[in-house]
Amino acid sequence: MTPAVHLKDLVVRSGGRTLVGPLSFRLDRGATLGLQGPSGSGKSTTLRALVGLLPPPLEAQGAVEVLGVDVRSPSADLPGLRARAVLVGQTPMVFPASILANAAFGLRHVARISRDELRRRTEAALVEAGLWDEVADRLHAPADQLSVGQRQRLCLARALALDPELLLLDEPTSALDPAATRTVEETITGIRDRTVLVVSHDQDQLARLCAGVVDLAQA
Amino acid sequence: MAFLVAGAASGSLDWGGLLTSAVWDAPRQRFGATAMIWGTAAVATIALAVAAPVGWAVAVAVNEVAPPRWRRPLRSGAELLAVVPSIVFGLVGVAYVRPFVAQVTGVAGGDSLLAAGLVLAVMVLPTIVAVSVDALAAVPDATREAAAACGLTRTEVVRSAVLPQARRGMRAAVLLGLARALGETVAVFLVVGRADGRLPRSLGGVVDLLARPGQTLTTKLNGPESVLAGTTGAHWAALCGLGLVLLAAVAALTVAGHGRRSAAPARARLRGARRARAGRDRAARLLLWAALALPFLAVAAIALVAATKGSRALDPGFWWAAAEGASGGGIRGQLAGTAVLVAVAGLIAAPVGLGLGLLMSEYASPAAGRWMRTLTLTLGGVPSILLGLWGYWLFSTRLGWGKSWLAGSIVLAVVAVPPVVVAVAAAAGALPPARREAALALGLRRNRFVRSVVLPQAVPGLVTGLLLGLARAAGETAPLLFTATVFNGAPVLPSGVVDSPVASLPTHIFVLAQDAADPEALRVAWGAALALIVVAGLLVAAAVPARRRLHRSGG
Repeated sequence: MTPAVHLKDLVVRSGGRTLVGPLSFRLDRGATLGLQGPSGSGKSTTLRALVGLLPPPLEAQGAVEVLGVDVRSPSADLPGLRARAVLVGQTPMVFPASILANAAFGLRHVARISRDELRRRTEAALVEAGLWDEVADRLHAPADQLSVGQRQRLCLARALALDPELLLLDEPTSALDPAATRTVEETITGIRDRTVLVVSHDQDQLARLCAGVVDLAQA
Repeated sequence: MAFLVAGAASGSLDWGGLLTSAVWDAPRQRFGATAMIWGTAAVATIALAVAAPVGWAVAVAVNEVAPPRWRRPLRSGAELLAVVPSIVFGLVGVAYVRPFVAQVTGVAGGDSLLAAGLVLAVMVLPTIVAVSVDALAAVPDATREAAAACGLTRTEVVRSAVLPQARRGMRAAVLLGLARALGETVAVFLVVGRADGRLPRSLGGVVDLLARPGQTLTTKLNGPESVLAGTTGAHWAALCGLGLVLLAAVAALTVAGHGRRSAAPARARLRGARRARAGRDRAARLLLWAALALPFLAVAAIALVAATKGSRALDPGFWWAAAEGASGGGIRGQLAGTAVLVAVAGLIAAPVGLGLGLLMSEYASPAAGRWMRTLTLTLGGVPSILLGLWGYWLFSTRLGWGKSWLAGSIVLAVVAVPPVVVAVAAAAGALPPARREAALALGLRRNRFVRSVVLPQAVPGLVTGLLLGLARAAGETAPLLFTATVFNGAPVLPSGVVDSPVASLPTHIFVLAQDAADPEALRVAWGAALALIVVAGLLVAAAVPARRRLHRSGG
């Protein structure tokens, strides 16, 4: 079986400046891996390169293979890949819509399923993200009423609803206070049977969450 | 604009009759405006029905589909249409749109509400594009990334994540475009036919009337009646009533449009995915690129037409020869007159605009600043024909100046002031808070602070705003017709103020364009149009470096 992520000599450049790399690592399916490094070392940039979301003028070089897709190939179906390898950003970005609509946001575009099935899978994702008990009675309330920690878990639910083969988490707790951090970490460890790549500047957190760690400062 | 109220009050105006009757018969003292209100509404509706979807598509193509480094040049290119003076659109309408409408509808002549609507559609396009692009650009990139990270195609990202947040601003763009369409005068005047009293009696009649001549509020005011009516009495009161109706509509739209530019939460419904997502994405992108080509084609077509039909202007002798007779000759006097009008307008608008801009950004309380901003934007949206009537009423009649270059310059200064105020306030507002704090921490008093810290920062804004404002003023026709210009017999340079008219390029074109049967008149009109485009284009081109400097220093 192909590995979930296979990087060989990834270099990310902006104009003439090298932001990342050369970086090589491999993440097998079902495993968890942490990417660690000081701020500015290119951790978030690396995650974006994996799903072809580098904002211009950033450009990637090298071999980037994610879930068997050659990300840098012009013919790669990137939207298709992104629905299987879902990136959850650093700041919890909720859309100006209801909590339920936010959790269903990706799924309703990607999967051709009935409304009931959509509802069922969305609610299951909210449960898996550990948010269900807090929002079950106000699913149709605007999502921006939630606290930052709740929003982060809502973003996680939005990703989980897609039933992704690979989860890419960018600093999942950087915006959170210690209590909310604990809740989100528990949520992440609760979804163990998936393939997860976590980026963090916090070594202890990566030790808690991941089986292996790649240090960008040494790579 | 109190003069409109005073004017309407001066002659016992029957508002009920004005707003319910279609009969406008000045000798019999019957003044009903519904036919004009219908004409205005019909023309504006046609214009927006074409311009709104195209303008939105262009904006989405510029901001969401084109590569980011193309955004600014594409946007500037699409806005080039705004540089073309409205009189040139009128000329294009006379030469191409009118025959086109005549051919399509089978109604001889082609002067019609439909022709006016089509010309207006092109004219309001830059407004809709500019405001819509602003609305789209205000949506944070994090929104796009979060949506794309869930596996959405580009089109789905735009439709489901970006548009819900930009929708309010894009609707505001249409309101502002509508305000522009309602106020436009000369371009409509040349192609609408100006037939009074036409009102549809049935649904089928609507379509039929669109292909026939009509009248709008602005074209009525721009007609000869405004001068013949005198400035008191029932006829003048009725004309002022028309002005008030127009002003109320435009001001309401402008205020509503600018008030709505901020984003607001939108509701999303739960719906399953669509079929053939990749295909839909490709098709939508193709469509958007096609829409993006439209404003550029329009700019290219106008440039091409002006360059070929206006080949007169390629001969230097045309610029320096005096005008002769009813249709011949050169444009020396018109060029000099436009230069005088624009230069004096600039001399007035610069200090006034700078003062008001600084007052707004530095001295006014936040609430007062917001009010000043709204007032400025409203003044900027006032149809120029109303400014012309005001100048006619105040300078030409009340002060007894007759036709005077100074009256024209003052009216043009009013046209140029709002862009100056907005640009100065924006430049002052771009002052980094840290620098502001550092200067105030040294104990500078407010006046001293404004003079030595804010003023240097605001100067590029002043230059940019002034050049853009004057470019617009140079192309204005309607405000000059009653106040400052004559077609024949004006000296190259005026001496004195009272009864000292000048000639000007836009009014020259305006008069020649109405003589569409004379090919020589049209050749001179196109030559003068090319000269006018060059003048306005030079002013705008001069503003570009100043604007760039402003962006750099503003960060």
